Amino acid sequence: MAPTARIRNALPRDRGASYVWAAGGLSLLAVFVLFVADSRLTAVPFVVFVGTVAYGWVRHQPATAHGLTVVTTLVTVCTFGLIIVFLGREAWPAIRYEGLDLLFDASESWTFSRTAGASEFSLLPMVYGTVATTAVAMLVAGPLGVAGALFISEMAPGWARELVKPAVEILAGIPSVVYGFIGFVVLNQYMYEHMGVTGFGNFFIVGVMIGLMALPTVVSVAEDALSSVPDSMKDGALALGATDWQTMKSVTLPAAFSGVSAAVLLGLGRAIGETMAATIMLAHTKSIPEPLYDVFTNGETLTSVIAFEYGNAGDLQLDALFAAGVVLFVTVMALSVGSQVIERRMERKLGGRE
Amino acid sequence: MSAETHSRLVRSAATGLERAAAGVVGLGFAAVAVSWATVFQWLRIRDTVAGVAVVDWFGLALLTMGGSVLALGAASRAGLVDTAPSDAAGLVPGVVFGLLGVTTGFFVVADWVDAGAEAGLVGGLVLGGVALAVTVGTREDVGSTLVPGCLLVLLGGLVVADVWTVGWTFRPTWWSLTFSGDWTVPVTTSMASLLAVWSAGKAHGGFGTAGRQTGAFALVGMNAAAMLAVLGLVVAFVVDKGLVMLLEGAGLASGTLDLGVLALPWPEVPFVTNVTGSIFVDVPGVMPAVLGTVWLVVGAVLFAVPLGVGAAVFLSEYAERGRFTAVVEVATNGLWSTPSIVYGLFGFAFLLPRFASGASNVLSGQLVLGFMLLPLVLITSREAILAVPKAHRDASAALGVSKWQTIRSVVLPAAAPGIVTGVILGVGRIAGETAPILLTIRAANFPRSNPNVLGSFRFTAEPPFVANDALLQGASALPLQLYTTISAGQSPRPSEYTQAEFGWGVALVLLLVVLGFYAVGIATRLYFRRQITQ
Repeated sequence: MAPTARIRNALPRDRGASYVWAAGGLSLLAVFVLFVADSRLTAVPFVVFVGTVAYGWVRHQPATAHGLTVVTTLVTVCTFGLIIVFLGREAWPAIRYEGLDLLFDASESWTFSRTAGASEFSLLPMVYGTVATTAVAMLVAGPLGVAGALFISEMAPGWARELVKPAVEILAGIPSVVYGFIGFVVLNQYMYEHMGVTGFGNFFIVGVMIGLMALPTVVSVAEDALSSVPDSMKDGALALGATDWQTMKSVTLPAAFSGVSAAVLLGLGRAIGETMAATIMLAHTKSIPEPLYDVFTNGETLTSVIAFEYGNAGDLQLDALFAAGVVLFVTVMALSVGSQVIERRMERKLGGRE
Repeated sequence: MSAETHSRLVRSAATGLERAAAGVVGLGFAAVAVSWATVFQWLRIRDTVAGVAVVDWFGLALLTMGGSVLALGAASRAGLVDTAPSDAAGLVPGVVFGLLGVTTGFFVVADWVDAGAEAGLVGGLVLGGVALAVTVGTREDVGSTLVPGCLLVLLGGLVVADVWTVGWTFRPTWWSLTFSGDWTVPVTTSMASLLAVWSAGKAHGGFGTAGRQTGAFALVGMNAAAMLAVLGLVVAFVVDKGLVMLLEGAGLASGTLDLGVLALPWPEVPFVTNVTGSIFVDVPGVMPAVLGTVWLVVGAVLFAVPLGVGAAVFLSEYAERGRFTAVVEVATNGLWSTPSIVYGLFGFAFLLPRFASGASNVLSGQLVLGFMLLPLVLITSREAILAVPKAHRDASAALGVSKWQTIRSVVLPAAAPGIVTGVILGVGRIAGETAPILLTIRAANFPRSNPNVLGSFRFTAEPPFVANDALLQGASALPLQLYTTISAGQSPRPSEYTQAEFGWGVALVLLLVVLGFYAVGIATRLYFRRQITQ
């Protein structure tokens, strides 16, 4: 079906309902434009919209309800679009000022000056911090998460599943600021006293904390993938005399491999975006350790620099913080899209269409 | 596995091999638990228990497990017990043992023999190569017991012979930390115990395919137990630390409930009911933060639930799959995975200037949390709607009911349990979010008064016609209160309460609120599931 025909099909046929759609749509468009333009008159078209919906609900309920669901969907998409636009708009001055140096300037300097041209913003130390903490986090969350998913979906007897599954869900709900506080008060202190690290906080322990926070995401998404493998495939292996473990290793895990890797990617996204633990536990120095794999040093991540400095940042510095947000957003989006592509391929494969 | 596949064809009484192996597995579990207890310092490693130092108990446990594992392997190799080993243990254990050999060889040569880092590396590579060769090149019962057994005996021997003491230290040049005996002994013991558990698990299953399954199940089961332990530990720890502050000045009947005509004794918890930063209260409390969280959650739910459910209805009932639904899909997943701090930045740049000319305000915080809640509601609602059987819709359509009537009176009621559960769990998640509200609502570190949202509504003659000053001011919320306590470096009453005491109190209240939402959400799901299966 051609797009225009499809749209025409979706529109209401009744003339009165069409007027409701038109009036509602126009007033909502006005709300959107005025709100983005920061006008005081935003409320006027909004009142018109509410009035239109109220009238439509009484006279043309099915068409109005249909229209409202379209509106809610559009609002969802627009929210996402607005995030992209405003993040980019705010970050643009810093990107224009630093160019590629923003990401690749090895000088590691992060100085703001009111004198034009004297400021310098290198995100490289923060990128290092994010990579280091995320790497440690995934060493924790990846293997343990996949093993946990295997346990819940394939191994656990009924009672254990009823216990572990909600527990993992609750684990996802423990606020990151609580993890951060525990790390700040207990683990930083322990590592300082017993493990001889210099000062409070280091990438390693922050990474472990973030790994614990990303763990539930990996477990629940990987578990979904594992349990979507059809029973007939597993039964085939078992009927050939394979043990449960052999079936998991050579049928279930390979069949769900793309889903499981999507789970790890989503966990990776969560780990990259985790803010509070790093903000609370790190000392916010900006340097790259020598050698690079010395993760027991202190530093800064892309997320923690935003949360720590937004409050008293100069204008260009604030733009640089938005640039850090753009880096985070783009990375996480790439991971999200990647995991969606992988998941779709898995659906096709298990559906037998490939 | 599906239930039909489980049937034990042969079930004989436990053999001696099985009993011995089960004993080692049990000892391994215990050793892991005890060694983490010393890392958390519930048990001091320098203490003595039953006349023997704790560190020596670790050594003895390692020796026992190592010796037993070696014995199990030897008994199987000599044919004394009935096992079915494969030709070799395989490459994966070989590589793992090889790496363990490298580490052990390095420390033994570089530190114990004191021959320097280069010699240590050579020694490590040699030992690692031997471990790899032994594991890969021998029959499975030898290959999967010899290396772990020897390693455990070596480690245990070093501890018992007082070479590897609590006071032992090693400061490498490549990592800025010090390896000292007081943490390496317990940590290594727990790791080595995992090896013993795996090895003895294999022996318990008689090696071969059955043995590999037992070994793997033992490790994966331990992992699941560890996840439960982490949850239990975090909750227990916060409760333990925070209860003192929460119950400060509290009494079951010390307060009064004033009903106008008569005053009844009423439980009082000043930490929850008092304001934070005032000099007029005995105990600084978290009421402003509790109210702030309540208003944030209410606002986010009012914003996100209609939008999320509406979009879910559109996607599952009205839309045809095409380019537009694909875009919606990308946007939803994008919103789901956008980092919370990016939401904070968005609220800071887009919402703050539009509501309070750039100042922190509750309304922006509500909207930002609503944006975060939106994809959670949308995804769970869509799943719930799609789970409504097609027969319901067909039956309704066959009665001549219109599409919208069907959605309203058949699909949505049937999907309601799933939607409600999803909303409650989503609320639990956003109630604990800190980063987005940090950038949008942060005001005073320790607020002096409670936000009065309901009492501040008033109508105005000019647009936007409704004004609410409380919504356009900054406020506190529970996760934010915990963060400001940490970043302020002190409690609101530094002379009487330390930062940690007050912080643990806030953390406990926060945890109770969030876990309360989760408990209600999970209970709702169980309730509806039971109704459906009945």
